[in-house]
Formats: sequence, C-alpha cells, structure tokens
Amino acid sequence: MVSLEIRHGRLLRQRWLIIAALAGATLLCLVLDLLAGPADLTLRQVMRGVFDPASLDPRDQIILWQVRLPDALIALAVGAALGLAGVESQTILDNPLASPFTLGVSSAAVLGASVALVLSPALPFMGQAAILPVTALLFALGSGGLILAAIRVLGGERDTVILFGIAILFLCNALTAALFYVADAEATQQIVFWTIGNLTKAGWVEVVIVTACFFAVLPFSLRHVWLLTLLRGGEAQARSSGINVDRLRTLVILRTSILAAFAVCFVGTIAFVGLVGPHIARLLLGEDHRTLIPGAALCGALILSGASVLSKTLIPGVIIPVGILTAAVGVPALMALLVLQRRRP
Amino acid sequence: MTHLSVSGVCARYGRKQVLFDVTLPDLEDGHFIGILGPNGSGKSTLIRCLSRELSCQGSIVLDGVSLASQSSRALWEKVATMPQSPPAPSALFPMELLWSICRALGMALSDRALSQRIEEVLALLGLDDQALAPLSTLSGGQRQRVGLALCLIRDPDLLLLDEPTAALDLHWRLTVLELIRRRLAHRGGVVIANLHEVDLAARYCDGVVVLGHGKVVAAGPPAEVLTKEVFARVYHVEAELHPGTDNRPSLELIRPLSSQHRPKHDSDPSGS
Ligand SMILES: Nc1ncnc2c1ncn2[C@@H]1O[C@H](COP(=O)(O)OP(=O)(O)O)[C@@H](O)[C@H]1O
Ligand SMILES: [Mg+2]
Repeated sequence: MVSLEIRHGRLLRQRWLIIAALAGATLLCLVLDLLAGPADLTLRQVMRGVFDPASLDPRDQIILWQVRLPDALIALAVGAALGLAGVESQTILDNPLASPFTLGVSSAAVLGASVALVLSPALPFMGQAAILPVTALLFALGSGGLILAAIRVLGGERDTVILFGIAILFLCNALTAALFYVADAEATQQIVFWTIGNLTKAGWVEVVIVTACFFAVLPFSLRHVWLLTLLRGGEAQARSSGINVDRLRTLVILRTSILAAFAVCFVGTIAFVGLVGPHIARLLLGEDHRTLIPGAALCGALILSGASVLSKTLIPGVIIPVGILTAAVGVPALMALLVLQRRRP
Repeated sequence: MTHLSVSGVCARYGRKQVLFDVTLPDLEDGHFIGILGPNGSGKSTLIRCLSRELSCQGSIVLDGVSLASQSSRALWEKVATMPQSPPAPSALFPMELLWSICRALGMALSDRALSQRIEEVLALLGLDDQALAPLSTLSGGQRQRVGLALCLIRDPDLLLLDEPTAALDLHWRLTVLELIRRRLAHRGGVVIANLHEVDLAARYCDGVVVLGHGKVVAAGPPAEVLTKEVFARVYHVEAELHPGTDNRPSLELIRPLSSQHRPKHDSDPSGS
C-alpha cells in the first residue's frame, strides 16, 4: 500500500492544480469581459491597449480604460471578496446557507443606499454619487458592529449569531420598504436598480478600494486556515482542543462584515456569489482551508466575472444588471450542485 | 513525571450548580482513573473543568502548577481532551483533521514526520483505510476512534476521555482500553476516562470514582468501590460485580430498582 504521505501529497498537488485551473479560467474570463461590450474592440487592440494605452485611438482608450477595465476588475474584486466572506462565514457558523447576507450586511447596505437616495435631494452640498456608497458602507459596517455587539452580550453561540443576523436582515428590509413608501418615483426606481446590483457604475477608485480591502483581509484569513479546518471536525472537538472558538468567531465575523460591506457598497446586492462560490469550491477542493480559501475567492471572482460577460453578450447592445444574472445562474447552479452532492457516494 | 491533584471542585452552568466539592484521589504518573456514574451525574462537566473548557472553583494542580494559571500553550502541550461527541460528519478527511490540529497547535514537525505520525496513529486505531475518506462516510464508532486519534497525536501527559468506548464494538472497546494501558506503561502520564462499562473499568482502571448528582459517592480501588450497595444507590439497579478469573471481572445485571427503593436523599437534586 502506498504511504499516506504520498497519497496525501498527490491529493494536495491535485488541489493546487485545480486552483491553478480556476485562476486560468478567471484570467480568461477577464479577457472575455474586456472584449465584450457595445463597441467593437478586437482581442489584439485590447491586449495592446492594456499594456500600451497610447497605441489606441482616444475613443477606444477611454472605452478600455474608463469603462471596461474598471468594470471587469471590480467584478473580480467583488466576487473574490464575497467568495472569501462566504466560505469563512459558512465554516464559522457551521451552516451551508450562511453567506455575507445571512449576517444582514447586504440588506443594511441597501438600506443605507436607500436612505441616501431619499435624503440626498435635501443635501445640496454633496453629490449623490459620493454619498451613496458612503452611507451604504456605514450601514453595512454598522450591521456587522451590531452582530459583534450581540455576540458580546449574548455569547458567541452560532445559532444566536445566525438568528440575530436574520433579524437584522428583516429589520433592514422593513425599513427599506418604509422608505419606498415615502420616496418619489425617481428615487424608488434608483433604489430598485441599486438593490439588483450592477457593476457599470464602478470606476478606478472603487476598484482600488475593494481590491485593497480584499488583500488586506486575506492574510488574516490565511493565518486561520488550520483553525477553520479544525472547526469542520465540529465545534466540540475544537473547544476541547483548547481553541478559543468564540474569539475566532468574533474575528471571522469582523472580517466577513468588512469584506461584504466593501463588496456591496459600490455595486449593490450581488446575489448568490457569496453562497454558491464557496460551495463550488468545497465540491472541487474539499474542506482543507489551505486550498479552500483561495479556491472560494477564485470561484467567487470567476462567477461574477462570468456573469459580467453574460450581462454584456446575452442581449446585444444591452447591459443587463449583473445581479439579475448571478441570481439566474446561481439558483440552477446551486440546485445542480445539491443534486450532484446527493449522488456522490 | 505527571502528577495531578483535584480537590474541592465546584462547577455550575449559569445558576445551576452541577458539581459539588469533587475531590479525586491524587493521581501519580501511570495512573488510569475511571469516572463512573449515571447520566447527568456530572462526569462530562468534570472533564470540562479538568480541560479548563469550563471555569470552576476548587483546586486543580497539574505538575505543581495550578491549572488556572497555566498558559494556554503549556496546557495544549500537556493536556488532550476527547469530548463526548465524536468529530462531526463533514466532508473533512481524518488525515486533514489530525493535520490541522497539529498545525493549529504549532507542533514543530516537518510535513514528512507529521504524515508518518498521523499514519501510525490512524493505523493503531484501525483507520488506515479511512485516512482520506470524508468523516461523513465513517460509522459512529470509526468517528469516535478518529476523535481518540486527535488526542493521541498530541502525545499528552494528561489524557481526558469522555466516554471513549461508548460507540465502539466489542473488539475496539477492549483494544482501546488495552492501548491506553500499554501507552501508560510505555510513556507514563495520567489518564482519566468517563466510562459506563463497569466491568471494563474494574479491569483496566487503577481506581474508580463514582459520581452521583455531582458529588463523589465512592472512590478507590474498583473491587472495593463497586459493591451491590453502590449499584443500588447510584445506578438504581440490582447488580453484582463478580471478581472472575485472571482479573477479568464480570458484571451481572439483575434488575432495575423502582423509585421506592431509592434512598430519598440521593434523588434530591439540590444536593445541599
Ligand atoms: N451546557 C449545559 N447547560 C446547562 N446544564 C448543563 C449543561 N451541560 C450539562 N448540564 C447539566 O449538568 C448536569 C451534569 O451533566 P453532564 O456533566 O453532562 O453529565 P454526564 O456526563 O455525567 O452524563 C446535568 O444535570 C445536565 O443537565
Ligand atoms: Mg457525559
């Protein structure tokens, strides 16, 4: 019989290969995303234009550098952030349905944006474009803060956390509905647009902020890979091994709240990426968080980037809000995954 | 040389006190103590106190240092605990579980050495074929053995086992207890295990402590402690432990005793 070391090594190599394949697919998707869009740019123009902007004529340069690159990159950054936040929250709450949204972060962001949309006509000094993401971010971080406060007061039992997150979710949805009631037609329309989620309003500043947030959080996640893996063996095992699970839970929820808040504050609600991305990664890579964490981030980026390509190519000349596509693609994907999982021995 | 002394331990969940002034006989290197007692008598709670998962009053002194003042690091290096529930049936592999605990606790071992050690421990517990199989595909008894492997891999001085044999078949019940004895003879240390198999406790343990309603009802060498009266008083059964041959005692369970046979003061949960 082959030694365990060799078999385990083989398994690990196989998993890193899958990660490399995911990274390759994501890169491919990025290129496709740069190619897709109403204005015709050839692959050659795009490739040259990325490395040498001066080679393009001014119009194409603006399309590539001011529209397509930021849109394509924010898809990757938001997808990766949601994938990472999703995988960590599923593990720490030991719940396959957990996602950044279960914690109420996303509905809080929607509420914040709605508040800005309803109030901004009354605030003449600030442009809506600036104030909207800021309030969304503040509300989202606030909901994360509420959950952390609840953990302090009520204890870090995972069911308490989930229930409290869902309570926040419903509260924010109710308040948003109340705002609908008082908002004028234009604001209502904008709230709906924002609730669906779309990438087209993002510029370079947003790309840099979300990317920086992701890379600032990632090392802390990677530092916890062993603890998170251990947690998959059950909380009782981790606790009796002397792991401070409550502290770990607080840190992870802090991380996921920050990631989710920054991910949704510019682009609105992106459905299902934070839920399905981690599940696909789990099916492909297993439960070892050394590979699962990068895998989930890549899956999130890949899904959102793929949805972005679809949103521009499905109906020629029309850009469908990407949030619609992630839900439309995410639900069947989730169903298929669940069926596949059932069939597995 | 491991040495553990436990005296006057009181523990509570919220307002409900479940351990009352529990004192164990001093545990010297090489000792294997069995904690016996009916469901809800506080066995698991005692293990949680000893592993510092639950804070408690009283004195627990390990190797001359109070447990409360040990650093977590020192505690991790010395004490391993197997909780009553086995590892969760997730898609994680036993190999990954063992690997992650060793890495999470910062064990200084090369990948190769760690692999070999995991392979040895899993083989010891008959889990060679399950090393790279999802925990969800393992049987309850196999998962319980994975839980034991999780403790053994850390090579602790003090091993705390909460019903380590509960889900095991006859073969593994004996094998695991033999393994614990052999390990003690080999490397020393102290083992405390909650057990329900009174006959096996009598056979393998150096001493037993019988808990009832959170108090020590009896403690000492098994043959002296496990009398008909104790079975009646603590377990509410008519039973007898026969000495058997070659130190292989056997338990004869005769019948359960109805509640009127129970002495009144023992079913008083307030205990005071
Ligand atoms: N987490 C808990 N919260 C409140 N009460 C508990 C908890 N765990 C155990 N108990 C109570 O403490 C007593 C002792 O429980 P336990 O130590 O688990 O018993 P044993 O392991 O001997 O069956 C029982 O009465 C039980 O109801
Ligand atoms: Mg118990």
